Amino acid sequence: MRIGHTSLAVIAIGLALAGCKAGGDNPGLEYAPNMYHSVAYEPLSQVTDTTAGAWVNALENPSVKGEYFNSNYFNGKSTFDRKSPVSNMREPAPHTVKRNAYGWLPYRNKRVSKDSIDLVVAGMKNPFDSTKALVAEGKVLYEYYCQHCHGKTGAAESKIATKYPLGVANLTAADYSEPHIFQVITHGAGNMGAHGSQVSPDDRWKIATYVRTLRKK
Amino acid sequence: MMNYRAARFSIFLISAFLFLAPSLSAQTVPTDDESVKNGETLFKNNCYSCHRVKEKWTGPALAGYQNRVPSIEWTIAWVKNSAKLIASGDEYANKIYNEYNKSQMTAFTNLKDEEILDILAYVEVEAAKPDAAPVVVTEDGAAPAAGVPSAYINAIIIGMIVILLLLLVVLGFIVSTLKRVVENRNLSEEEKEVVESPITLSTVTRSPGFIFLVIFLVTTVGFKTVIDGLFTIGVQQGYAPKQPIAFSHKIHAGENEVNCKYCHTGVMKGKQANIPSPNICMNCHTQIKTESPEIKKIYAAIGYDPATGTYSGKTEPIKWVRIHNIPDLAYFNHAQHVNVAGIECQTCHGPIEEMEVVYQYSLLTMGWCIDCHRKTEVNGKDNAYYDKLIQLHEQSKGKNNKMKVEDIGGLECAKCHY
Repeated sequence: MRIGHTSLAVIAIGLALAGCKAGGDNPGLEYAPNMYHSVAYEPLSQVTDTTAGAWVNALENPSVKGEYFNSNYFNGKSTFDRKSPVSNMREPAPHTVKRNAYGWLPYRNKRVSKDSIDLVVAGMKNPFDSTKALVAEGKVLYEYYCQHCHGKTGAAESKIATKYPLGVANLTAADYSEPHIFQVITHGAGNMGAHGSQVSPDDRWKIATYVRTLRKK
Repeated sequence: MMNYRAARFSIFLISAFLFLAPSLSAQTVPTDDESVKNGETLFKNNCYSCHRVKEKWTGPALAGYQNRVPSIEWTIAWVKNSAKLIASGDEYANKIYNEYNKSQMTAFTNLKDEEILDILAYVEVEAAKPDAAPVVVTEDGAAPAAGVPSAYINAIIIGMIVILLLLLVVLGFIVSTLKRVVENRNLSEEEKEVVESPITLSTVTRSPGFIFLVIFLVTTVGFKTVIDGLFTIGVQQGYAPKQPIAFSHKIHAGENEVNCKYCHTGVMKGKQANIPSPNICMNCHTQIKTESPEIKKIYAAIGYDPATGTYSGKTEPIKWVRIHNIPDLAYFNHAQHVNVAGIECQTCHGPIEEMEVVYQYSLLTMGWCIDCHRKTEVNGKDNAYYDKLIQLHEQSKGKNNKMKVEDIGGLECAKCHY
């Protein structure tokens, strides 16, 4: 029954390999992990096992415990400390301020109460002209960042606004200036959170331009 | 939440109130259709964000307001500037203010007295209407529709089993009848041997036909499992790890229609789509589902106290588990695919808006990448960068031959491996 044994062996190998399949919490079997895992620090990844793959650099640096996971010990000095490996991101040069692609400095006005907002934004001006193309860009951005609360037409008719008592502003009725809208997107107002970290200043001006067009004449 | 005292207005308020009081004394809510209609528009535009007529929303339900407020004049003063009224020490105003966690109602100074009265007229008409029949929303709205075909399939399978059993019974009858016929005949020795040779388990298993069949089946199935198994090595398709917070894409992207790009802000700007930082969660979850144990995990991570709305400053990273791991030997950039090619998230990530727990939908193998680069036309719409390339391509290959990603170097090794 040699053939029978061979068949059994083939099936056994097959079943063993079937266990390599990913699913649930199991990421599956990896082939050549030291080619898969980044030596440089990879964003959104975590060091879960600092000893994994220690054999990789055991020959070159037997004293350094290596691993596949963001393991390059030339990355930042604190990665020498294997117990608390950290990112090697650099801080900006001291006393410098980053300008964006348009050469703008960061927007610095603070969040203020509703009464003072017009004082804060007084003198501000939308750096973009309200052209058709810009409004179209603003519309796309509005769909990404605003529509799920303020609704497609701006009348707060979205699923979220009708489902939860959030007090979503009706953008078709209110007469807000563009700088006012810009300030509100940046710092939030009422129940609306601050969106300054999500939406870049140029995108905020584009959205403000589009929101102005939502008003019912 | 705006929460401020307008004490400095109090003197101003008292004088304004004294001035206004006599002129307001004769206010009555109109009942004519035009006022109601006008009131409806005004209500939808100004009040609907925070008020419903019959339901407690951000602010109180407005139905039956006339039985609660001190007077119509009070209502008008409240709508125009509630802060003033509160600061004046008005008893009912302060009661409402405290009842709603000291959240300030927007001051509608631009509304005229008549307009406010129109709104009130609309509210009274609307409140008098009988409640609409409750809309019955079943949890699994699609289930009945989906259940019908599976019931059919079950019926078909059961029917087939019954038919097979009947066939078996009929065959049994035929065999016994034939046996009886044979027994009543005079047979030669050779014929007897054939008829009486027993069909037992061992005679069947030793027959060459059976052995061939078994070996054939075992080897085919075996080799198929081995090859399939080998193909899953290094492929994480179907990987669905348990996350530290049970975030549901089905609820957010599906039911609530939040755009993918609202949270995954990096997707148009760089290589990574980004796991959103908790401040994006907090844009909604300072208000929504604040009692949920999963949301409390966010609060714990960022040191937020929902009762006071303050941050302690003690933070703890949320250890999300990365699902899609492109090997380090290949370079992939989201921005190029989303911005330039205009590919939908679902093309690679599958029906993400239906996933309770996210799993890796695509293979993410090199073959998978190459396949798409061979099939996909270059998106040259509104993109002057490709204009000349497309023109040249059509000149050399003909109008009907569309420029694919492979035609502009989409298959070159160094595009991804460097």
